Amino acid sequence: MDLERFRERFGDKVKIDKNILTLADKKDLIRVVKFVSKYFDVLYMLIVVHRPPKFELNYIFSRYQDQEIIQIKVEISDKENIASISNVFKSAEWEEREAYDMFGIVFRDHPDLRRILLPEDWPGHPMRKDFVVTEEIKHWTGLDLKF
Amino acid sequence: MIINFFYTIVREFFSVRVSILLSVIILFIIALILTVAAPLILGWVDRKFAARMQSRYGPMYVGKFGLLQNVADFIKLLGKDVLSNAYVDGLAFNIAPLLSSAFAVAMISIIPLGSASLEIINLPYNLLFIYIFMALSPLLVMLGGWGENNKFALLGAFRGTAQMITYELSVLVVFMSIAFVSGSFDISAIVLSQSMVWNAVYFPVLFLVFIIGSLAVIERAPFDMPESSQELQAGWRIEYSGLRYGLLIVGDYVKLLVISMLAVYLFLGGWNGPLLPPLAWFWIKTAIVILVLMSFRWSLNRPRIDQLLDIGWKWLLPLGVLNLVAVMVLWA
Amino acid sequence: MGEIELNIGPVHPATHGVLRLKARVEKDTVLGGDVEIGYLHRAMEKIAEQRLFNSFFPNVDKLEYVSALNWEILYASVLEKALGIDIPPRAKYIRVILAEIQRIMSHLIFIGAFGQDLGNITVFTWALRERELLMDIVEKISGGRLAPMYLRVGGTEYDLPEGFDSMILPVLDRLEEKVNKDYKAVTYENSLFKMRTKGVGVLTRDTVKKYGITGPNMRASGIERDLRRSEPYFVYDSLDFDIPVEDAGDSYARFMVRIREIQESIKILRQAVRALPKGNYINKQPWMFKIPPTEAFVRQECPRGEGAMFLVTDGGMKAYRLKIRSPSFYTVQAMPEIIKGARVADLFTIIASLDPVMGEVDR
Repeated sequence: MDLERFRERFGDKVKIDKNILTLADKKDLIRVVKFVSKYFDVLYMLIVVHRPPKFELNYIFSRYQDQEIIQIKVEISDKENIASISNVFKSAEWEEREAYDMFGIVFRDHPDLRRILLPEDWPGHPMRKDFVVTEEIKHWTGLDLKF
Repeated sequence: MIINFFYTIVREFFSVRVSILLSVIILFIIALILTVAAPLILGWVDRKFAARMQSRYGPMYVGKFGLLQNVADFIKLLGKDVLSNAYVDGLAFNIAPLLSSAFAVAMISIIPLGSASLEIINLPYNLLFIYIFMALSPLLVMLGGWGENNKFALLGAFRGTAQMITYELSVLVVFMSIAFVSGSFDISAIVLSQSMVWNAVYFPVLFLVFIIGSLAVIERAPFDMPESSQELQAGWRIEYSGLRYGLLIVGDYVKLLVISMLAVYLFLGGWNGPLLPPLAWFWIKTAIVILVLMSFRWSLNRPRIDQLLDIGWKWLLPLGVLNLVAVMVLWA
Repeated sequence: MGEIELNIGPVHPATHGVLRLKARVEKDTVLGGDVEIGYLHRAMEKIAEQRLFNSFFPNVDKLEYVSALNWEILYASVLEKALGIDIPPRAKYIRVILAEIQRIMSHLIFIGAFGQDLGNITVFTWALRERELLMDIVEKISGGRLAPMYLRVGGTEYDLPEGFDSMILPVLDRLEEKVNKDYKAVTYENSLFKMRTKGVGVLTRDTVKKYGITGPNMRASGIERDLRRSEPYFVYDSLDFDIPVEDAGDSYARFMVRIREIQESIKILRQAVRALPKGNYINKQPWMFKIPPTEAFVRQECPRGEGAMFLVTDGGMKAYRLKIRSPSFYTVQAMPEIIKGARVADLFTIIASLDPVMGEVDR
């Protein structure tokens, strides 16, 4: 897909490489995503990669009429939060909940941000690279029970 | 009448009152044995038939060909712990299975068992009495559902009652038409009137209405929504376990046997037939009807409860009434 | 009686796995609900970061346990794309054959479970009987029935057994006969079944596009899209098959789409088995290999929709991040909206017709 229109619209706020758009600043995410929603139908995947101390979020969008996909990369650091795109793409709701559940990233303005795969009161965010199985977690999962 | 037979034997030895009492007791025991034998034998047929339809074997190990499997299951049910919710209404909860099997015993006592005077007790209106015992089932369902003190069981009981009442009306219309045509409510007389032509030849629509309606009255699949084991987890029977559950199952199978016998008596000529003795003809025909009814259970899926009530009110009842009116007009 | 909350809990014979649905019901209509997942979470993605690339194949099997080889093929494809290697043509045909066999098996389970939820237990045993024939073939090929750990990077672990076509062609004939006659009589040409499924749980195109639902559920709502046709991978562009599409969007349409997909898969299998070339079946890689730092994204048509994997590597022998996109995740997300306005008795029909498998939703 020709990403020239993105370059025209956003200038140097984005860096384009094949079909990967890298945003320079996470504050532009909502504007870029709204522009994407004119051409793409649905959020296909949301991949969070933890390269300590930063998180790299990859949003992959796809559409139904052909096979084009576009990938948007944003970097945030630990303790920062990022705007939620579930108002623009409804399918992002559960993906962002899973990102919060596994990595601890807080999405602002999310309608229902709570844990999805793990129980509500589980301590910690397991997919982070600095996750350690502590005594509390061993007791939670029953790994320390002796029968 | 079987009771006459025993009375004449016993009267040789005892006075009138004692011999009446003794014959009644003997007959009660015979009826009880028949009532318990029905689910054992029919249950085996059901399980083997279903298994062979589903490419599996069915009961194989308990007794030769698995014949004693249901006996073993019944003994297991007797041995179960008597569980009940702490808040059940004692009278309502316990009476429903008792009445269900009591009605089963009553139906077995008055229905002819295969040939002209082979019923346990002879009543000149036995068709009507059998209908009464079957028509009291909604009452039992409500008693059971209420007594269990469980919100979902009560919902299931409402549905079961609605289903039964709808279809009982159609079955009643069928019975009235047949009685009108044959001139009496006595089953032996009805069979006698079919010695030339079976009623099913004259009234195929009524036959269909009877089959569908009676399957729905006894709550047998494919009309077992109130008890659907995949969705509502046994509906109004959910709190019944152990012996109480066993008695409900006894009632179920006896009712299946009774409606098959009624289908043969009312529509398929009863025990009339050329070469073979009447008893053999009757049981051959009943066996065929039972197998057909069983195959409905295992090959069809359930309709929804509102669709079922639709069929009952919009199709079966009007068809039956039309047929009754047509019969009355043509006969008059 | 007001509004009650009906909890169709994780342990229920009719929910196709551990899915918790909290439906708000008033009299006989469902007003809405909440779906809770996570009862089968097994931390697959975290384990992928701690196993060597080749040692992760057994875990991928357990994701969508009714059609395990499809996900193995996907994982092998994403590793090959990251490494930048090619696979020999025989391996491509073998993968197509296995993928279609597993697709038929998955749809057979769907037929059985759907019929059973409606009350027809016999269809379940019939579907499992047909699935046994295919499982025997998978066992002869790979040694495992439900979890064949058969794929390797660059091809497959062993070659297909000798006399493979004489094994599979009679099975396909029998399967076709059963689907076109027996199943037709008790399911799709049966008026009780049609009464129960037509018009129930209508999934409109807007809902499909809003939630990103793909696969047979999407095709039953009128959107014609199949990755095997639009983005052909392996040898699908040289095989001749149709894509079944229905317009109605109700449970009956979803059932019919899957029945037609079984018939199409049988067609594909017959062509692939005939066209199977001789030669190498694997482009052998060392058991422990490193992948230079890169990102790889592959998507394929799994029986429930478009499955995808995204692999991020850092030059080591283990994955740095492996993200698995499961199609049922999006279907289950859309469930509260699909069940609005349905009757309580139809809830189970709708859940069964959407065909979620919790193994891949929760990973």
